[in-house]
Amino acid sequence: MQGFSDGGADLGQLQTTMRNIEVACTSIQMHINPAAAEATILSLSQSPQPYTACRFILENSQVPNARFQAAAAIRDAAIREWSSLSTEERRSLISFCLCFVMQHASSPEGYVLAKVSSVAAQLMKRGWLDFTEAEKEAFFYQVNQAILGAHGIDVQFIGVNFLESLVSEFSPSTSSAMGLPREFHEQCRRSLELNYLKMFYCWARDAALSVTNKIMEPNAVIPEVKVCTAALRLMLQILNWEFRNDTTSMKAGIDVFSAGVRHDNGSSKRSECVLVQPGPAWFDVLISSGHVSWLLGLYAALRQKFSREGYWIDCPIAVSARKLIVQLCSLTGTIFPSDNGKMQENHLLQLLSGILQWIDPPDVVSKAIEEGKSESEMLDGCRALLSIATATTPFVFDQLLKAIRPCGTLSLLSTLMCEVVKVLMSNNTDEETWSWEARDILLDTWTILLVPTDGSGGDALLPPEGKHAAANLFSMIVESELKVASASVTNDDGDSDYLQASISAMDERLSSYALIARAAIDVTIPLLTRLFSERFARLHQGRGIIDPTETLEELYSLLLITGHVLADEGEGETPLVPTAIQTHFADIVEAEKHPVVVLSGSIIRFAEQSMDPEVRATVFSPRFMEAVIWFLARWSHTYLMPLEETNCLSNDYQQHQSMNSKKALLSFFGEHNQGQVVLDIIVRISVTTLVSYPGEKDLQGLTCHHLLHTLVRRKTICYQLVSLESWRNLANAFTNEKSLFLLSSANQRSLAQTLVLSASGLRNSEAANQYVKGLMAHMTTYLVELSNRSDLKSVAHQPDIIMSVSCLLERLRGAASAAGPRRQRAMYEIGISVMNPVLHLLEVYKDESAVVYLLLKFIVDWVDGQISYLESRETAAVIDFCMRLLQLYSSHNIGKISISLSSTLLSEAKTEKYKDLRALLQLLSSLCSKDLVDFSSDSVEAAGINISQVVFFGLHIVTPLISLELLKYPKLCHDYFSLLSHILEVCPETLAQLNSEAFAHIIGTLDFGLHHQDLEVVDMCLGALKALAAYNYREICAGKTGLVSAGLGNLPEGIFSRFLRSLLQLLLFEDYSPDLVSAAADALLPLILCEQGLYQKLGNELIKRQTNPALKSRLANALHSLTSSNHLSSRLDRVNYQRFRKNLNSFLEEWLVLISLVFSELQHAVGGIASCGLRCIPVTIKV
Amino acid sequence: MSDEEHHFESKADAGASKTYPQQAGTIRKNGYIVIKNRPCKVVEVSTSKTGKHGHAKCHFVGIDIFTAKKLEDIVPSSHNCDVPHVNRTDYQLIDISEDGFVSLLTDSGDTKDDLKLPTDESLLKQIKDGFAEGKDLVVSVMSAMGEEQICALKDIGPK
Repeated sequence: MQGFSDGGADLGQLQTTMRNIEVACTSIQMHINPAAAEATILSLSQSPQPYTACRFILENSQVPNARFQAAAAIRDAAIREWSSLSTEERRSLISFCLCFVMQHASSPEGYVLAKVSSVAAQLMKRGWLDFTEAEKEAFFYQVNQAILGAHGIDVQFIGVNFLESLVSEFSPSTSSAMGLPREFHEQCRRSLELNYLKMFYCWARDAALSVTNKIMEPNAVIPEVKVCTAALRLMLQILNWEFRNDTTSMKAGIDVFSAGVRHDNGSSKRSECVLVQPGPAWFDVLISSGHVSWLLGLYAALRQKFSREGYWIDCPIAVSARKLIVQLCSLTGTIFPSDNGKMQENHLLQLLSGILQWIDPPDVVSKAIEEGKSESEMLDGCRALLSIATATTPFVFDQLLKAIRPCGTLSLLSTLMCEVVKVLMSNNTDEETWSWEARDILLDTWTILLVPTDGSGGDALLPPEGKHAAANLFSMIVESELKVASASVTNDDGDSDYLQASISAMDERLSSYALIARAAIDVTIPLLTRLFSERFARLHQGRGIIDPTETLEELYSLLLITGHVLADEGEGETPLVPTAIQTHFADIVEAEKHPVVVLSGSIIRFAEQSMDPEVRATVFSPRFMEAVIWFLARWSHTYLMPLEETNCLSNDYQQHQSMNSKKALLSFFGEHNQGQVVLDIIVRISVTTLVSYPGEKDLQGLTCHHLLHTLVRRKTICYQLVSLESWRNLANAFTNEKSLFLLSSANQRSLAQTLVLSASGLRNSEAANQYVKGLMAHMTTYLVELSNRSDLKSVAHQPDIIMSVSCLLERLRGAASAAGPRRQRAMYEIGISVMNPVLHLLEVYKDESAVVYLLLKFIVDWVDGQISYLESRETAAVIDFCMRLLQLYSSHNIGKISISLSSTLLSEAKTEKYKDLRALLQLLSSLCSKDLVDFSSDSVEAAGINISQVVFFGLHIVTPLISLELLKYPKLCHDYFSLLSHILEVCPETLAQLNSEAFAHIIGTLDFGLHHQDLEVVDMCLGALKALAAYNYREICAGKTGLVSAGLGNLPEGIFSRFLRSLLQLLLFEDYSPDLVSAAADALLPLILCEQGLYQKLGNELIKRQTNPALKSRLANALHSLTSSNHLSSRLDRVNYQRFRKNLNSFLEEWLVLISLVFSELQHAVGGIASCGLRCIPVTIKV
Repeated sequence: MSDEEHHFESKADAGASKTYPQQAGTIRKNGYIVIKNRPCKVVEVSTSKTGKHGHAKCHFVGIDIFTAKKLEDIVPSSHNCDVPHVNRTDYQLIDISEDGFVSLLTDSGDTKDDLKLPTDESLLKQIKDGFAEGKDLVVSVMSAMGEEQICALKDIGPK
């Protein structure tokens, strides 16, 4: 491939180049040998100094694509060669691009102009910190002249366009990469924001102003519209800038949004709404200059013209104007003087009165849209409301409209949304219509208004009128949701319609609904109660006569909504009763009449009927039952025997009414009141779902993981549980009843865990241990008996035996994972009693991967739960057992090859092996943790156990099974290397005791890890290397032999020389993350100290290969200072490591410069050939 | 393997039932199941509902452990499925004969000569190569529902 370098280019050569590029562009378009064509184009941008050729093409080529590529080539080459270009060259490139676009402003190929314009912007940014103010002035003078309209409409448009590219280039989120540090971009950003942004905005505004009058004249479309649209777009873009220099309100300039009126607390928002906070300097431009009224006037004029030719609701200028108006609604912060928000209110009111026509009256607007009018104006109106809500408090929001209307903004919002919901109801389709989008935006608006702002959980208080609006809206929402639910009966897409899925899909929406409902809680709770009782009655009357499906779907949806209204998601914490519910209903004194009690009670009583087989068969379908269980779980987490109950009762001073009602509500379901009764009902319902819904995994999963788990999480409930007859029945069924053996494995495990956890409700640890033993006895007995059977080998593989064994192992595993200080004894004894059976079973089931995995997982969980409590004698027993387990597993699997025709089965086998190994590594890691966390009374060292050594030999057994192939599984890889690096750091000396094969394997994996993509893995390997080399160096210093000669002489060369080479290779010639340099330095230093001779040799080779004498001496100097500057000594202490890190950093910087010099030299020597990147040279300088 | 010829009755299975009933909901991935009268390893289980308020049903994807054919089945999750009794026995490999049969050493010291080598080229190669290298090979023979096949080999090599 011929290069396109400029060196002495004559006209003929330039024309040849142009023709080549043109041909290439054309052939790409026609798909003729695109690879070659791309290579031609690439060679243009990669050749040194291609500027003359590019200019020639830009000015002379008739092929627009060729011009486009030429511009791209200028960009690529200039960014690459920037530092070697003279100031004059840089400037001339930019002004060439600018002049080019101005001169060709009327050219029809807009994309070429846009490209050249953006090239100019990028180059301008690249030189931003180098150019003097005067130089920048000169460029901007040219641009300003253009924007002022001195050279006509087209040039004016181009000028605005250029600024658009420039601003987007300077904005961090849209800037293009230049291979420069972040710092550079940050400095550019700051400089533009401080010194130019406002000026650009004014230019854009002036450009728009200059053509406004013409646009407002009653003409058809005129060219000025283009300029105005571009100017509006630029203004919008500038207002989208993330302003950070609003210094008065910003403390450290870190949190962009912390200033202003309210906190953006990351609530569930679907629509983006960012506050605009440009700071006080912008006051004159945006606020005091009548900017808003001009903009509103312009849009109003455009609206008049919508019916006419050339203008319509979605024409670019209208869209841009609306977006800018919406953006101005988000204006907040110190741009407004501190006058209690008066100025901002006026500003918003002005905007709102302009926007009002887009959305008001809601029914007329929505009717027009349904009849075919474009919805975009209405949606923008909704977005504006969202912006206003974001920038103000609910109170101010509501007051805004009151200044000009009898009702407040909240009422308008409510009416508007009701209208939207009506439309949603009437055309119930799956496709997303405008009403979906409008609903989401408006819901967000409500969320923003209603979400508690102060973090204390206090709900925003709405004025009475606002409450009324919220109540109306909520009943409309519920009506629409019910309608959707009953309609969904007919569309049978049931497969994907699972509770979890439907809840999480609806979750954001439901929590917004809940906020609205809570804003008018005294109306909405009774409403829900009424809706429930209507449907309960309908079910009962129609039982056996009418198909209940529709009602069930409605109830399903009501349960989800009510669950959200009444209680919050705990997210691992204990949720409190929502503040709105706590503080309202002040006049209720009798607990039974508290609306929340009434509502909860009616649902629980209804759920209780599921225990009647007849009702269950007709009403409580599995799907419906899922919703019931979900509701019960969520409800009981908040209301059943709440913790606050006690606090609340002791609080005897604030005896006013609201406290009374709160107390009544909280204590009603407390342990001394109805709590126990309700708990009993819930437990019995749970048993029903586990026993009477055979094979309904989802329902049972919900019961085990969600409901029962929630119950045992709270101590107060556990106290009650263990004394409940129904709970004892559950425990009995668990040990004896066949139906509970049919639960799926995860549910089995979870149930065992739950039952064991409930033991924390017992008064002392003796009782707890006894309870756990009683619960588990059946399993240990069975496993012991089975493993002792003489015909074990022949019966073990019967499917029914496999099933029982798996089931019991799952239970054991669940119980093991629930071990806590109080139950630890019992679990320890259980584990000890099944140790031998476990080994037997591992032997028998060696080919039954599923069982093997269960066995391993049980041991892993058991050891993990026990190890920190064990006394030294017990530890010894456990360790001995683990080693036997590892050895047994390893002997079964080493050298084994699965043979199967099916590739699926083979890959399954591989995955199983991976999972097994991962479990084994986890086992070793748990053992390791004994060194760190130990609750036992005597130390293990006293008993002569060296945990690290044990783990190391465990690793020794396992490693041969871990092939490089298996290390491709990221989790396994991670586990393996973290264990390896830990062990090597703690006891490097044990490495010497390995046989050469195992040793080579470990070294091999280290080498593999060193070149891994995962940063953390490389980091861990470097840590391991450091530890090894440091150990070796210390040994040698102490006059011992170190690792090298300790029986490892059969390796071709010392491991340290091998790693020195490979680490140097990595640092000098490969891609690596800069974050690794420190870790690499820490490993490199001891390596160099261990292998000083080799290091000298490698350094000399590196220098020798360099031909250029100047570079040669530079390299020699760099290498010299790497090991000598900063008073580096040959000790391995903290200070010295730090020094070496510094040295290595500066060496690598120098090295990069050297490399690039070598590169460009080489390039000059051979012309455009060396374009394949840095890598091509170092290959020859292999260390 | 298209030519399924069963010249023999599995001795290990003699007297024992070939399949066991088990509730569909309890059969898991990596377990075994009989689909269309073939013993399969389950590689995928998913559940779905019949209609909005109906009962759950399980959808199984299994791979025939002998022929590697993919088979699928849908069963209500509370119903029973057949689960095959899959047995594995290890034998030491003594010889490979020209006609594609292997000679195996049983625990009791007898030889078992009725097992054919796999017909698939690459599998055959794995076994033959290992044997030709003079390794001490142990083969695992999987048997279920009256069929048997070599499913794994292991080098217990000279220590």
